[in-house]
Formats: sequence, C-alpha cells, structure tokens
Amino acid sequence: MTTNSRVHWWTSLALLGLSGMMAFVFFGPRHSLTTVRRLPEDRNVLRVAFTQKLLPDPHRRNFPLPQYNEFILSLWEPLVQCDPATSRPQPAAAESWEWSSDRRTLTLKLRPDAHWSNGDRVTAQDFVRAWHRLLEEHGTGAWVLAPLKNARAYLQGRVKDVGSVGVRAQDDLTLVVDLDNPRSTLVVELADPLLVPLHRSTDEVIKAKSYYDTPTALITNGPFCLEKASEDRFRLEVNKYYHSRDSVRLAGVDFIRADGQYVAALLVEAGVADLFVPLPYGPVRERVTERPVNLESELVLGVTAVDFNTLRGPLRDIRVRQALALALDRMGPIQKYDPGHMVPAWSWVPTMPGRTGLVLLKEDAAEARRLLAAAGFPGGKGFPVLRMALPRWMESDPFPSAFCEHWFYELGVRTYLAYEARPKWEARLLAGDFDMSYGTLVATVPDAGDLLSGFLQPLEYTGNKWDNSEVKALLNEANILPGPPRLAVLEKAERMIMAAVPSLPVMFAREQTLCGAEVRGWYPDSLARQNLRRMWLENPAAPGSAAPRS
Amino acid sequence: MTTAHDHTFVPLWRRTRLWFLLWLLATAGAVVYLLWDAWPWLAGNPHATFRYTKLNQWPIECLWWLLVPGALWLQRNLIMMDRRWIWTITLHGLTAAVITVLFIILDGVRLVVANHLPASFLPAVVNDLHGFGGWSYTPALVYLLLIFALYAFNFYREWRAGQQLTTELQVANARLETRLVRASLDALKMQLHPHFLFNTLNTITSLIRNSRTREAEDVVAGLGELLRRSLEHRQEAMETLEHELEFLHRYFEIESIRFQDRLKVEFDIAPNCRPAFVPSLLLQPLAENAMKHGISKDPAARRLKISAARDGTRLILTVYNDGPPLPRDEGALRNGIGVQNTRTRLQMLYGDEARLWLRDQPPCGVRAEIIIPFKTTPHP
Repeated sequence: MTTNSRVHWWTSLALLGLSGMMAFVFFGPRHSLTTVRRLPEDRNVLRVAFTQKLLPDPHRRNFPLPQYNEFILSLWEPLVQCDPATSRPQPAAAESWEWSSDRRTLTLKLRPDAHWSNGDRVTAQDFVRAWHRLLEEHGTGAWVLAPLKNARAYLQGRVKDVGSVGVRAQDDLTLVVDLDNPRSTLVVELADPLLVPLHRSTDEVIKAKSYYDTPTALITNGPFCLEKASEDRFRLEVNKYYHSRDSVRLAGVDFIRADGQYVAALLVEAGVADLFVPLPYGPVRERVTERPVNLESELVLGVTAVDFNTLRGPLRDIRVRQALALALDRMGPIQKYDPGHMVPAWSWVPTMPGRTGLVLLKEDAAEARRLLAAAGFPGGKGFPVLRMALPRWMESDPFPSAFCEHWFYELGVRTYLAYEARPKWEARLLAGDFDMSYGTLVATVPDAGDLLSGFLQPLEYTGNKWDNSEVKALLNEANILPGPPRLAVLEKAERMIMAAVPSLPVMFAREQTLCGAEVRGWYPDSLARQNLRRMWLENPAAPGSAAPRS
Repeated sequence: MTTAHDHTFVPLWRRTRLWFLLWLLATAGAVVYLLWDAWPWLAGNPHATFRYTKLNQWPIECLWWLLVPGALWLQRNLIMMDRRWIWTITLHGLTAAVITVLFIILDGVRLVVANHLPASFLPAVVNDLHGFGGWSYTPALVYLLLIFALYAFNFYREWRAGQQLTTELQVANARLETRLVRASLDALKMQLHPHFLFNTLNTITSLIRNSRTREAEDVVAGLGELLRRSLEHRQEAMETLEHELEFLHRYFEIESIRFQDRLKVEFDIAPNCRPAFVPSLLLQPLAENAMKHGISKDPAARRLKISAARDGTRLILTVYNDGPPLPRDEGALRNGIGVQNTRTRLQMLYGDEARLWLRDQPPCGVRAEIIIPFKTTPHP
C-alpha cells in the first residue's frame, strides 16, 4: 500500500463546492418569495389544492375529507343541504319533504327544474339507482343508508335483493324512503355527499374512466361539471343546466393535486392555489411569500376520547373512571403539541350550529386521588397496569402517551400503550381484550345525537361496552323528537354519560383552512362540507384574483 | 515472476474500462427509457403529468445508479490512505453527508416540479420536508454500509492474496530445499568418485610397477566401465538395488585383480529386494571400506559378503568382511570419509528413518548394516 494521497485537490474542491451549493439550497431565501401570477384562463376560477387522490365517484371514499366533500358537492347535488348557521336541512335537489304520521316514511318532492349537465331531467329514479349502487358496493360508506328499511339486513347479507331496501321512485319527481325505525335526523343525513343521484350513464363512465378523454361524458347535476380531467387535476366549469346557475359567482373550480399537506399549503402561499383544507397538524411554519392569505378555522363535529372498558378490572368501578377523568391534564399536552388545532373537551358534544357545547367536567387532581383511594387504590398502590389498545398508525400521535404519563404522575396509575396492526387491534376491541382504547369519533350528521348514537349499541360500536338502558331509552326517544325537545333529551343523555364516564372526552379538533385573501364566501361547516358555489373571488387588482360574475 | 513494470500506475479509466463502458451503456439505456416514459409530459400532453413519470417515481434508484461509480472510485482511492485514517474517515463522512443532502434536495426538486412551483421555492420546499419528517438519512447509512462492505471485500481479497503468496513461497522454499539436497547429494557423490578413483589408480600403478600389464589393462578397462556407469548414475539420486549390485560386481572385478584369488565375494540378495530403490552408490563406499580396512589389513581375510533382505517396510543391507575388528579409535572410524558421507546422505534422504551401523561381528570380521525404508519408487 502506498501512503500517497490519490484524491486530487480538485476532488476535495468539487466536494466542497457541491456542499456549498447544497448549503445554499438549505439556507437559501425562504421569505418574501415572488408569487406566481394567475393565468388569464384562471380568472375567477377557484383553485383548490387536494392531497389524496380524487375520483369522480361519489361512492369511493375512505374518509370524508373536506377535499372529497367539496369535489363531489361541486359536481353533484344531493336532496338537501344543511344550513351552516343552524344545521337545519334546506332544499337542494328536493324542494320539499314530508313525514308520514308514524315517521317511518319520508316522501321527497324533487325540483322540477333540476337538470343534468346534458339537459336531461333529474328524476327520483336517478336517486334510487345511485343508492342501490352504493349498497351494492358494500363499502363502509353504504352504512349511511342503514336506517332505511331492509338496508341493514342487506348489508349484513340477510337480504339478497337490493330492490327490497326502502327507497323507491313513486314517480319522476317523488322519492319515497321507508325506514325500519323512526329517525328524526334522517333528512339532514340526506345531505351526505354519498347520497347524490347518478345519471344512468355514469356507472359505465366511471368504470371505463372515460372522463379522462371525454370529460363531458361524466354527467352531473351539481353547480359545476367536468371540463378537463387528469389524475393530477380536475377542472370544473359552471353547469349551464344547474337550476341556480345565476347564484354561482365563480367561473369554475380547479382541483390541483399536491404532494402532501405542507406542499398544498405552499401552493396557496405561492399563488398556485387559492384554498386548501385541512392544514397539517403541528406548529405553523413561517410564511414564505407575502401573498395575503386568511387562516380560517372551524370546530369539527367530532370528539377524541379514551374509552374505558367497563366490563373489566378496576375500570368497572365508577370511582376509578371518575378519578381518571378528573386527574387528566388536557391543556398541557395541547399547548405543547398542537395548540392550533386541538381544544380541550369538557363534554361529549362540541359546540355546533344551533347548540352550544356543555361544560360537564372540571379537572381536579385532589378529588381524583381521593376517589382512587376510596376505590381501594391509594396512591395507585395495587392498581394493575392498564392496557391501552391502539392501532399502529397512531404511533406518531403524542397525546395518548402524554395523558398516560399524567395519570402516572397524578395517581400512580401505570398504562401500557399497546400498538398493534389494524386487524389485531380490531379483533382485540371486538373481543374486549383491553382496558382502554383511544380514538376520534367524527359525526356524519350535524346533530348532537349522531355523536351520542354509539351508546345505543355499545357492545358493537364503542370501546367502553357500557350498556345503560336509561341512556339508550333517552337516545331512542330523541330519535323521534324534533327540535328543542330533542335537544333537551340529548343533553340529559349526555349528562348521564359524563357522570358515569364510560368514555372520557379529551379533545375537540379545529380544522384550519388556508385561503387566498381574495377568496370570499368561505363559511365554517362542522362537517367540512363547504359548497364551493357559495364562494367567489374578489379584488381583481390583486394578483391571482378576478372580478365576480354578476 | 513480478517485475518493476507490474507496479506502474495504470489509470482507473483503463483498469475499469469494461465496467465503465457497461455502466455507460446501461445509463444511456436508462436515460432513453426515462425520456420515452416522460415524453408525453415533456411534449406538453395535457393528460400527462410529471408526477406519474418514472423520473418522479424512481428518483432514489436513478440517483444511486449515478452515484455508485463515484462512491466506488472514492473508496478505491481513499483505501490507499491507510496511514491517514482521520482524513479518510472525514472524507467518507463528508461524502455521506453530501449524498444525503443530495437526496433531500432531489426530493425537493421533485416536489417543486410535480407541484408546478417556481424554482425559487426550492429552499422552502426542502425546509418544509424537514417539517414533516421528509429528511431521510437512509442514504448516509446506505453509503457507509456500501463503503464498509467494499473495505471488507478489499481486506478479504488482500488476505486471500497474502495466503496465496505464503503458499507459493512455501512451495518455492520446498523446491529450493529439494534442489539444495540434490546439489548436496551430487557434491557428496563427487567426493566419492575421486576417492575410489585414487585407490584404483594406485592399484593400476601398483600393477604396472609389478609388470602385471595384462591385469593393469583389465583394471583400466573395468575402471572405464565403472566411470561410464558412474556418470550415468550421477543423473539420478536413486537407483534400484539391481543396478547398484551390478555396479558392485564391476567394482569387485577390479578389486579381484588387485587381490587375485584371495578375495571371495558372496552375494546373498533376496529376490524381492532387487527392484527396491536405494541411494545410488550407497554400498560402494562400504564395500571399499571393507576392502581397505578389512581384507587388505589381514592376509588371512578373504571373505566379503553383501546381503539384502526385506523386513516389512524396511530394507536391510549388510556388508560383511572377515578382516580384523574395528580399530579402537572411534573418531577415526566415525570420521572416515566413506562412512561419513553415507551417513550424511542417509540423513538427508530419510531423516530418522535410516540407520547405519558398523560393528564387529564375533568371532571375527566387521559388519556394516544399513536400514532404510523399502521403496519401489525413486522418490525417497
């Protein structure tokens, strides 16, 4: 071997030069960057960034993401829409509806002026066809039709004929929905993007994906229809046959694919997009451009909770559950990890349109220690280690471990966080082989009863296994009551639940939307179903904006 | 055999030309494929996007393909710097860091292109990547593992080369030793020939002085024959006992002329011993010794017996004469050139497996006995 260096000086110099260039990229300018000017063809076009693959198929969704809702509701119109201020149902494709006397049959009258984007009339049969398709897909979304007569039996395989499910077209403009049991929230449930109608040609177009080559082949009844389509981008134009087309102030909507939430937010800042929801969780980074943007926020109708298995171990004792509830510190972890999105939950149902959230819990560590001692575990002595069942995808969620650490600090209660693959985790929940579980419940209906409905079938749908006949009776009663009496019954049920603490609500979440300052008409929706036809762009002088259509 | 030319510096380009060409060809093929795949996007097809091209989907594979030759080259050069290990480690560490940063920047570039962002947003994208854990340090790990593997391979190769060299040296040493032994044997044989020659010449001189010219002529003729055979023998270290006995016959023919009818030579050779290989000219010095110190010293002595027998794996050769007993002076006996040479040759050829005794044989005479391994091949 030789000891002479054979790495020439220029090699070292090249490496150093390369390092310098890279350092420039890393430490290069990241503020006051120049924004992209809006293209002339994008004047008055709302550009929405999306991160997960979109398909123009209302029945293909894994989770009701805001982008999916906005996309589907731009193309199709369901029977009703919810008033964002009151959550009450408003006419959309249906102009009116009527309950039967036993509240088991709902008859909806369709608008006579509702048309498809090719000029065909929207008929009741289009809804029947779409709902049958949703049921036949047997996806998780199909359970939104579970209240319909025979729908649950069909989805469980006990009934084979989809035609026996309780939806039928009485005539072209009359749709009749039959229910197994009365359900007062059914009408607002019909605003779900899953329950839009489908033109008779749509199923084939979706299967063949012919909308990529011939966008107009996808016939829709919403305020917009497809103008251009690729896997990365969907350009929508105003549907000239839409019954309220004059109220649509945008010239079109452009859905632009982004690689992740951070990039999507960057697209808005860069002037490539005008709107993105939801912003990534975690600390907000510094702005990189001077484009004026607004950070809008709305409280999501959902709750993050710890379920106590009330059929096992010391958690059968209500004092233990109350002690755990009172000992928890919500604000500490929220302030530490995500103050922008999370808010502490003091009740099961958050504040929502038409209903203010209750404060039914107050943290009190001293009282918690007293209750635990009274239950026979002073200072946590003799208390068994609690197993918290968690799915593996939650490993990056810092909150479960933060809450458990606090329980140990305050009460001496130790917890084992058991992260498992989804099938194993689900099987464990079903078998009740755990002490606690942790998760988020999101409503699909703007109604308090939707979040509480899990307590109707606790053995099937909740981790607490808390089967309380009194609460179930109240929830069943609420199902047939309308308006304020219904809210009163739901509040009573919620108070009972919070007193017994089978599940402990810990946090509510805020969804944050980043909008260009020229975007107007954005409104909070607790189900993140903003209808883009209500929005427009203002201040044509600003880069990236245009005058609204009259 | 190596020469000074073997260590002349050969450029990397020449040493790795074939591999480099193959790499270049594969790279060209990959570039063509990537361009073909991305062509709709490059041509501005509205349905085509960068996101679904292989350029966007295979960035890690492409970059590694381009970087590996450089990494190999760097490692190959840095391995020479065995005494500057701090500098080597620093350079490898720097390279690992540079490669990692390169991958992160590539990811950023990919995101900028796929999302139609201006190039000025690259620093922002790269830093955003860090925000959601997009900075992967795997390339550094991969590079260091690759370098470690290359070092391990090189060390293994050098160890193997060292082992091979040691084996070759051992073989060369063994050959050299064999040559030395052969040379020593030849030298010993060369010592024997003059000794015998002088005795015989003395005999001839004596015959001529005594006017026994006829006998002197026979001796000269016999000597000539012996020398001829002796020269033939010199080519080989080993001979069959048969040949060795023939030689002795010639020798005794000459000695018979010296001693006329007084000498009586007997041969007691087991037939199965005749094909056995023995060191050439093994018995002649002992026979000569018997003649010189036995037969010629005692006028009554006349009998000389050569015998050969096999004892299992051993060949026992004896030379007996009925002359006077051995002299008291052991040193003189031990240092006799004939016996000493024979003992040395046996030691060199057979080590401890061979024995040579010289002892009195009661009631009269002296017996020389040689025990050597019984071999039917010329290799000792």
